Amino acid sequence: MAQRLSMRNIGKAFGGVPVLSDVELTLEPGEVVALLGSNGAGKSTLVKILTGLYTRDGGVVEVDGSPVVFSRPADAIAAGVKLLPQEISVMPDMTVAENILLGELPTKTIFGFRQVDDEAMRRRASELLAQLGFRDLDVTQPVKRLSVAEQRIVEIARAIAGQARILIMDEPTAALTEQEAHLLFAIIRRLKAQQVSVVYISHYMSEVFEISDRIVVLRDGRNSGNFATAATDKTQVLAAMLGETAGDLYPDTPPPPAGAEILTVDNLVVRDEIAGVSFSVRAGEILGIFGLVGSGVEVLGRALYGAVGSVRAGTVTLDGKPYRPSNPQAGKRAGIGFVAAERKKEGIIADLTVRENIALPFQSRFTRGLFVARDLETGHAGNWIRDLSIRTRGPEQKLRTLSGGNQQKVCLARWLVDGVHLLILEEPTRGVDIGARREIYGKLRELTGNGFAVIILSSDVEEVAGISDRSLVLDRGRIVQHFEKGATPAQLMAATAETVTPAA
Amino acid sequence: MTTTTADTAPTLKQRAMNLLAKPWSGVAMLLVFYLLLLAVFAILSPFFLTVRNMLQIGTNVAYIGLMAAAGTPLIVAGGLDLSVAAIAGLTGVLISLMVTAGIPVWIAVALALVVAAMIGVANGLFTTKLRLNPLIVTLGMMSIVSGIALVMTGGLTRPMMIDGFNWIGAERFVGIPIPLIIMVVTFLVLWVMMTRTKFGRYIYASGGNPEAARLIGIPVGRTIIVLYVISAVAGALAGTILGAMLGAAAPNAAGSQLLTVIAAIILGGTSLNGGRGSVWGTLLAVLILGTLNNGLTLLNVSSFWQDVTRGVVLMLAVSLDQVRSRALGE
Repeated sequence: MAQRLSMRNIGKAFGGVPVLSDVELTLEPGEVVALLGSNGAGKSTLVKILTGLYTRDGGVVEVDGSPVVFSRPADAIAAGVKLLPQEISVMPDMTVAENILLGELPTKTIFGFRQVDDEAMRRRASELLAQLGFRDLDVTQPVKRLSVAEQRIVEIARAIAGQARILIMDEPTAALTEQEAHLLFAIIRRLKAQQVSVVYISHYMSEVFEISDRIVVLRDGRNSGNFATAATDKTQVLAAMLGETAGDLYPDTPPPPAGAEILTVDNLVVRDEIAGVSFSVRAGEILGIFGLVGSGVEVLGRALYGAVGSVRAGTVTLDGKPYRPSNPQAGKRAGIGFVAAERKKEGIIADLTVRENIALPFQSRFTRGLFVARDLETGHAGNWIRDLSIRTRGPEQKLRTLSGGNQQKVCLARWLVDGVHLLILEEPTRGVDIGARREIYGKLRELTGNGFAVIILSSDVEEVAGISDRSLVLDRGRIVQHFEKGATPAQLMAATAETVTPAA
Repeated sequence: MTTTTADTAPTLKQRAMNLLAKPWSGVAMLLVFYLLLLAVFAILSPFFLTVRNMLQIGTNVAYIGLMAAAGTPLIVAGGLDLSVAAIAGLTGVLISLMVTAGIPVWIAVALALVVAAMIGVANGLFTTKLRLNPLIVTLGMMSIVSGIALVMTGGLTRPMMIDGFNWIGAERFVGIPIPLIIMVVTFLVLWVMMTRTKFGRYIYASGGNPEAARLIGIPVGRTIIVLYVISAVAGALAGTILGAMLGAAAPNAAGSQLLTVIAAIILGGTSLNGGRGSVWGTLLAVLILGTLNNGLTLLNVSSFWQDVTRGVVLMLAVSLDQVRSRALGE
């Protein structure tokens, strides 16, 4: 029998930078293949090519032995390739049956008008759910009444209704409890029995080992491992994912001299996302906090800076004084600098110049009387452009026209003024090229040498392992491990992976 | 040979897009268009290009210019005020009623400005604290304010010939009509505010990327509230000048000019998405719209056609704004 899917020699580049080179991914009918790789390894690009969102620059894609070209998502769906994105997408106010059969509503003709055949729709939807092992779900209720897991099932049933033969599941358990996750696995096994093939994307090692037949690993846009799940173990897979850490990207770290404690966090609770964490940072050190999507890593830094309103519980001490910021102004006044993860959405003011962007947070210091002092701004911006090697035609260039790495340096430069002594950086090098990354890391090390404390919150395991003096691993709102002397990427990754394994 | 050059040389469309992406392209185009307009009308009508007529245009657009000037920083910061013209109408009514009740006219003006400021605060609070869409909030406010003005007068126009008051609509200072002077001073003050002060930076930052501005500790909400107050007070000033010029206060005196105000701001190159715009563009646009009206009147074109012209200019301006955004790669 022909392979269900065969992608060979896939290549893709953006702006001359190769993102995928010579990548291969195959699926047998009824096979579950886990696709693994750290952030930026090329997983999502490969998936986008498979689902018709991107077109490949080179290579061959075959479905059931015949070559296909997907230039639009509709082409992929027509060929039986269906993506279940991480965020569940259902129509909350439509019924279960309508949601399942949205693509091909059964119709009947009454008095010459085509109408939806409700009876047939309900029957068909129930059949599809029964195939997945769900016999007693009321298909006439609106989907918004269902649990998240049940909504997932509706999505899967919809894919099956559309004759999907290849399902791509991106972090399908992200919003599910453990029990619900096992329900999902049971469904995946039923799909296998019906010869549906699955590409399963997950950060969670234990899930991958439970459900997959084969594990395909990408690293830096290339295949770096292909394992039969039964014949391998986590160590091998992690080694393929992480490889040898890029050594010279990070500065040679002299052990930090024990400075004064700058920030102490005790039993902090934030919304439903941080469930009581305690840690501290000293002057002169870089504390890395590693967590995957949904671990709370997105909100912890913001809470400390004052950007999520008031926290629910816990005490924070900054420079020996109690500290309870209710807005970013409070964090700023207390001497904290913050760089947000989403540079474009939350960082840059694209239409202002480099000079204006750098002066903005402490504009009063660049003001004489009523008026902005342009000479002070220009001098200050010029200093940091030189110091951080920001590639720009000059301080008057609009920030919009700089590259991601240089924009990130501008976001950092904003906080390099007297009085700021704690930097909270979210994903400090996301979307930043290697050269700028090295410069940013070098600068952070230099700053800690001058008494700064730095907290890095990142989902990039190599970054946290590479730059931190100490690191924490955050999972589902709790700190699951401290590494007092730094950690390897594998240790960090293993710390999150362990907690997902069923307790019993 | 020819094919290779065709491949590398930028196409006409690319060149046009590059030009549009330049920050000064908008104001430069407006200036050229304004000069063309002056030339065309000067040729068509002997009465057009005279000092007298130019000052007449300036006086006619002064109260519109006031509202458009104050609306510019507000839209740059991500807000929008559709109630401004209704506030102008209410102000005339309030002053006229208070004076009738025996309150000295300048105290009446001051009180009317305070009322307007409070309306501005309400607009600001609803849009920033409750995060309601400014279009809906100020549309609602427009209806409320003009409704109240109608209730207070029973829908009638009130006389507004008050001793020691009407000069601000009629007199001249060194030969220049007072309303025109007030407008020009307002533009100058707002220009300095937007480009030379800390608050000005906050305006561009709040509209350019509100979330980023919030995260670097800029008081985005407060900035926008202050701008709603400035817009409302400018509306009240416009109503005061208009009342003084006409010698009468009508509840809907300025209502028909709301579209002109918004059209001028957009035509002037201020982006409806926020973050981009200047008062000079707005001033040129106000002059262009005023000149169009004046010129068409001199040429005996019906005022109904002038409405059509204004609508066409507005839609062209919005299309241009869209094209320019694309040229900037958004």
